Amino acid sequence: MSSHLECLDVTVSPDGAPVLRGLCLEVAAGERTVLVGPSGAGKTTLLRAIAGLASLDAGDIRLGGRSLRGVATHRRRIAVVFQEPRLLPHLDVTDNVALPLRAAGVRKAQRRALARMRLSEVGLAGLVDRRPPGLSGGEQQRVALARALCAEPDLLLLDEPLASLDPNRREELRRLVVRVQRERELTTLIVTHDRTEAAQLGERIALMLEGRIVQHDEPRKLFEQPVSAAVARFFGVRNLLHGTVRAGRLEVAGTEVAVPGPDGSAIVAIRPEHVRLDGGSPLRGTVVEAVYSGSHVRVVIQCGDQRIEAQLPVGEGPRAGEEVGVELSLHRLWRLPDGGTVRASAGPALRAGGP
Amino acid sequence: MTERSSPCRLVAAALAAAFALPIGVLVVRAFADAWRAPAVIPQRWGLRGLREALSGMALDAFANSLIVAIVVTVVAVALAWPAARVLGERRLRHPALPFLVLALPLLVPSYATGAGLTQWFLRLGLVDALPGLALAHLVIVLPYVTVVLLSAFGPPVTALEEMACSQGLTALQRLRWVTLPAVRPSLAAAVLLGFLVSWSEYGSSLAVGGGRPMLPLVLLPFVRSDPQVASALSLLFLAPAVAALVLAARAARSPL
Repeated sequence: MSSHLECLDVTVSPDGAPVLRGLCLEVAAGERTVLVGPSGAGKTTLLRAIAGLASLDAGDIRLGGRSLRGVATHRRRIAVVFQEPRLLPHLDVTDNVALPLRAAGVRKAQRRALARMRLSEVGLAGLVDRRPPGLSGGEQQRVALARALCAEPDLLLLDEPLASLDPNRREELRRLVVRVQRERELTTLIVTHDRTEAAQLGERIALMLEGRIVQHDEPRKLFEQPVSAAVARFFGVRNLLHGTVRAGRLEVAGTEVAVPGPDGSAIVAIRPEHVRLDGGSPLRGTVVEAVYSGSHVRVVIQCGDQRIEAQLPVGEGPRAGEEVGVELSLHRLWRLPDGGTVRASAGPALRAGGP
Repeated sequence: MTERSSPCRLVAAALAAAFALPIGVLVVRAFADAWRAPAVIPQRWGLRGLREALSGMALDAFANSLIVAIVVTVVAVALAWPAARVLGERRLRHPALPFLVLALPLLVPSYATGAGLTQWFLRLGLVDALPGLALAHLVIVLPYVTVVLLSAFGPPVTALEEMACSQGLTALQRLRWVTLPAVRPSLAAAVLLGFLVSWSEYGSSLAVGGGRPMLPLVLLPFVRSDPQVASALSLLFLAPAVAALVLAARAARSPL
């Protein structure tokens, strides 16, 4: 049975200095949320606090409406898949997976049978008798996932489960995590520092900056409608146009661009993949950089004192030094709320929509 | 076992011979009732050495030494465990001073430690009694056991324990199924070393023991006066040590 997770004003200082400062986060029952943020933001600390491996200075963590304060880690019914697999080298794979059942007093034959079922679920039916040291990194991480599922937890926490794998294995394990989570409707919180991985893994994404959740929403909202410049930058938007909007238009490099929202001071963001080149556009600039990146060409255009980054299909990109017209279409422009002044450390978490 | 190159085997054989040779001589000497130079083989074999060795205080001494060594090893491991955890996990901000105090008995000759303890034991009524001997040995054994055991603890073991905790294992289950198997080789080495140090401890036994016979104390006078008895006693001395070594080597490999 999956449970609703609430973190209320959580403050944690693992080594004296506060890492989490009044953090609020909710994950609805059966929902898969990705916690994303730069290294050092406190993501792992939050996971450890939820699991009971780090103690709270203030605030509360509730699971299924019940406070976890004073509940020992081993009684919380929260399974953790750590960044490293943390398998017991002296037991075979089946006994490793059966460990939580052994703790619960399930008889040997029965728990090994259950463990084998979990192992075949993660695609390791052929390795049940092997010892962990003989397995690859990806296989070990699957064993760790099977072990976490074997505990039949109310909440599953995954700390950068894909970080130590090569790209192809990563893709496989990502699919597996999403599949087993969906089948069980298991409340799941996944930590990653990679925004692309976050978009692929999460039904919702919570961005953590400096010990707080700054935006928690569907993946697309964080990429296209960031609540602050810091959020925009984390999700790869470097095109932030500052200025004052008059009569619905913002001055950019000597010309005017139509922008959404009322008149007044504004920061307007546009994702690089939404910037188009158009010879007829009045906004002119010079290409200062064009970098082939495999799936696309990244182009930096200097328009007066404003730099605009564009992501163009391979073959369409201009060369460095060329003069081009830049089109910033109105429906792709996103105006940051409150003139973009919401900062990571200023306001409470924004959670648009959801239960 | 993987294949070894022949130089490796040669070195191993030479080492084995270097260890085995003195013990071989000891065995021959113990059962030689008459062995005068320059003969290579004894003139007369016999059990005089063994009889004389067992007729004196040797059996008492053997029992005393064994009891003290076992008790000291058990207590030392129990006391060293938390200390080794704290030091091994680097939880102290300034570990140098506690470490120095802990290692002090390693730096001071054991007779000096024993003589110092005697001053206190006289006042506490512990001199000339097995508890006093055990306490004196404990002072000397504890640093060895702690130093060997602390290498077992650190981030890898802590990581496994955290995992076990999140998988629902109670404290006792974690100790039995996770911590003990993880530290097993170091624990076996610490137990072995603790036992051997106490078993062969001479200085502090001499200082604190008074009239209590301990095997090393009984053995030494015979080395000059009657080498045959000394050799027989040495074999008696060697037996539990070898047994401890074999047990420790097995415990380090097989599951507990």
